Amino acid sequence: MQVNELISNSPIRVFEESINGGLGKGNIGVLASRHGIGKTACLVHIATDKLLQGQHLIHVSFSGNVEHVLNWYKEVFREISQYKSLDDAFAVYNTMRENRVVMNFSQENVSVDRIISSLSTLIRQGAFQADAVLFDGYHLTKATEEDVRKIKAFAQEMNIEVWFSVSPAVQGVGYDEFGVPETMAPLKDLIDVLVGLKYNEEKSKVIMTVVQDHHSRVSHPTGVTLDPRTMLITD
Amino acid sequence: MTKELALMRNIGISAHIDSGKTTLSERILFYCNRIHAIHEVHGKDGVGATMDSMDLERERGITIESAATSVSWKNHEINLIDTPGHVDFTIEVERSLRVLDGAILVLCSVGGVQSQSITVDRQMNRYKVPRIAFINKCDRTGANPYRVVDQLREKLFLNAVLMEIPIGLEDHLQGVVDLLRMKAVYFDGPNGEILREEEVPQELMGEALSRREELLDKASAFDDDMMELLLEGEDVPVEMVEKAIRRGTLSLQLCPVFLGSAHKNKGIQPLLDGVVKFLPDPTEVTNRALDMDNNESEVILRSDPAEPTVALAFKLTDGQYGQLTYIRVYQGHIRKGDELVNTRTRRRLRIGRLVKMHASEMEDISEAGCGDIAALFGIDCASGDTFCAPGLNYAMTSSYVPTPVISLAITPKDKKSADNMAKALNRFTKEDPTFQTYVDPESNQTIIKGMGELHLDVYVERMRREYKAEVEVGMPQVAYREAITRRAEFNYTHKKQTGGSGQFARVAGYIEPFTPGPEDEDREYRFVNEVKGGTIPTEFIPSCDKGFRTAMKKGPQLGFPIVGVVCCVNDGAWHPVDSSDMAFQTAALNAFREAFAQAGPAILEPIMKVEVESPSEFQGAIFGSINQRRGIIVSSTEDHSNCTIDAEVPLSEMFGYSTVLRSMSQGKAEFTMELDHYAKAPQSVSEQLKKEYEEKNKGK
Repeated sequence: MQVNELISNSPIRVFEESINGGLGKGNIGVLASRHGIGKTACLVHIATDKLLQGQHLIHVSFSGNVEHVLNWYKEVFREISQYKSLDDAFAVYNTMRENRVVMNFSQENVSVDRIISSLSTLIRQGAFQADAVLFDGYHLTKATEEDVRKIKAFAQEMNIEVWFSVSPAVQGVGYDEFGVPETMAPLKDLIDVLVGLKYNEEKSKVIMTVVQDHHSRVSHPTGVTLDPRTMLITD
Repeated sequence: MTKELALMRNIGISAHIDSGKTTLSERILFYCNRIHAIHEVHGKDGVGATMDSMDLERERGITIESAATSVSWKNHEINLIDTPGHVDFTIEVERSLRVLDGAILVLCSVGGVQSQSITVDRQMNRYKVPRIAFINKCDRTGANPYRVVDQLREKLFLNAVLMEIPIGLEDHLQGVVDLLRMKAVYFDGPNGEILREEEVPQELMGEALSRREELLDKASAFDDDMMELLLEGEDVPVEMVEKAIRRGTLSLQLCPVFLGSAHKNKGIQPLLDGVVKFLPDPTEVTNRALDMDNNESEVILRSDPAEPTVALAFKLTDGQYGQLTYIRVYQGHIRKGDELVNTRTRRRLRIGRLVKMHASEMEDISEAGCGDIAALFGIDCASGDTFCAPGLNYAMTSSYVPTPVISLAITPKDKKSADNMAKALNRFTKEDPTFQTYVDPESNQTIIKGMGELHLDVYVERMRREYKAEVEVGMPQVAYREAITRRAEFNYTHKKQTGGSGQFARVAGYIEPFTPGPEDEDREYRFVNEVKGGTIPTEFIPSCDKGFRTAMKKGPQLGFPIVGVVCCVNDGAWHPVDSSDMAFQTAALNAFREAFAQAGPAILEPIMKVEVESPSEFQGAIFGSINQRRGIIVSSTEDHSNCTIDAEVPLSEMFGYSTVLRSMSQGKAEFTMELDHYAKAPQSVSEQLKKEYEEKNKGK
């Protein structure tokens, strides 16, 4: 299969349709759930789809282990390229690698200003024209409204899409019917797309629900789920 | 004798550059009463550390060559090998690891697990070297040994376990808490030589107990009795825990971690106890050799002095009394006057003078036993040679040697320098297999090849200092490769009729890119014979193979070797009188050249894995510098005020990078690089290289 076929047949297209054709540049999207549901895989899948389309992106992680992040990308790519028997997978992967930078902050409670400053440095001085920035494991629920506004301003200034994967930073938090932690509530007005992930035992799948879509607050299904085996988005 | 072997340790110290290996070695020598005063590497007393025996090392503050030295600690004999830390000299590290039974992995408490630590750790895994870790520089600002332990687990996947916790950190570092015996240890006296034991300070009790629990828990995995005692909630005797830790360490499944500050004389003695307690003696390590008389089958060497002798020459140095050969005895023993055979050359040699080394001072001995490290005088050999008792034909497994990536033309300034240069090169190539030299037949220049700019720099410098050879140095040259990108057919007839018997051969077939499988020994070339019906007689098939190989030695684009090709002959023609070996070789050579042009020729360039470490404020400049050099930024990690940037950059763009980096970071950033892979050079670069090559050859 050719790359463009792979892109057009991707379940991500279905996902994008459910949020009005995609998140859009200058906007903030959030995948929220409890721990261990598969947000990272889901985020990397969205990232891989962008890389396949030739977009440039920065993956921001807070784990302290870059190798771990790189392995996620390797795994996700292997999974989709083998499943669809992609032509010339090696060359495609190499191009993707060139368009991705992992930025890792191993210090606890690093400030939003510091993150934004590092991202801007990479984009401006490193001449890296990023189309999207993905934050994996950032404690957005602990961030202040001011912090989120700064991120939003940064996204608009640089004209990039910003995705977050979010789980509660503290224990004992309640979740709504779609799997979104309650601690997200105060930030809802500041973000553009909110998707809740919740494990459904009957279907043994992770259900993805659009809780908030740009200005609409009417929740509706995304039309896609997470495969519990690969943790990838499937139709 | 066996009892003596149990009291012997052959250990190495390896680490990232500037983690303080040399300082640590120096302290070990001091506490083992080998030297009487402590000198600093960057010392003001002008004496320099004892282990860095070369002037050059003193000047640059780095340890280039490993020096072997024997010390004794609490009735044990420790042979200590100091290894270089810079990535350019990894062959030295690898060769030292080959002869070690155990190692101390030194880490900086601020820098933690750095790129070189990862490389060294990978090498230790390759040679299955049990190790203990020492977190040094706990007195430095920003010291955090707990974070380093986490990194050992996350980055090196070591089952690291703290044996001690620090009492105070940074400038408040006072001593350590021994978690096994639950005692606070302080290091008194002007050089920390007096150990004072006290009760564990109250404020550290909580931390100490929880770390001790972790220690016992990890150790119990290696001793069922201990596990039982723990489960029953009973006290476990210290000896039992030590035995369990030793078992875990020897099986490479546990890595005990010590800490302190060599510079401030803290924590060295417990580390030495750890070496003795947890690292193996020579009988506990399995060493293998290849039996050359028996189809290179593997044989296990026995640490028994009664067995026939097997020894490995792992290092050569040139001292004032001639060549000094460092050996490790694996089996049997070596005595003055013994006659041994060098397996490679089959030459006999007689042991004249046998010495034990202490950095640059020596002590004469009459016998070196099994497991021992010693040095020989007046033996002609190369490093990596095996010496055996007559009648035995064993070779120690050849060490893995990486291919050089960079070359440099050198021209002696006068006749005297020319002679000296030849002597120096002869010596260096014997000492270091990654340093190679040849005379370019076209330019008649001497070319030296190595693993990086610094690697070659050091040798040029050594030629000047040690051999008084003044040489002019050309521009560094990258070792490019040529390759093909698609399949192409050939059908070539070689015909020559010049009176007498002529030459005739026709070969037909194809060439295509070669993707080697795991079973392919030759990773660059495969010859396939699909000739049917004897259109080429069997006797001339090897001639075709030879012709292809000749063609691949020098590519038509840049004159660099061609790699990654399958050559297949499937048809041809011959003549009963005019066909010859030569004729088929010529035909194959020309057929290859013809097909090569049709097979989408490409130029491959070496891509280096570059790791830059720097204070965060220079991050932007470093991003920019990598971008300018056609590099890809793989990742960037920030931690407090420091950042580490991993990138992949073509070697040709990295010349002079150390100067650039130094000037843009006020000397605060450092980088290491090593060959990652070869990749197709971009069109514009290839075109430029081809143009330069043509210009150069125009006059010829």
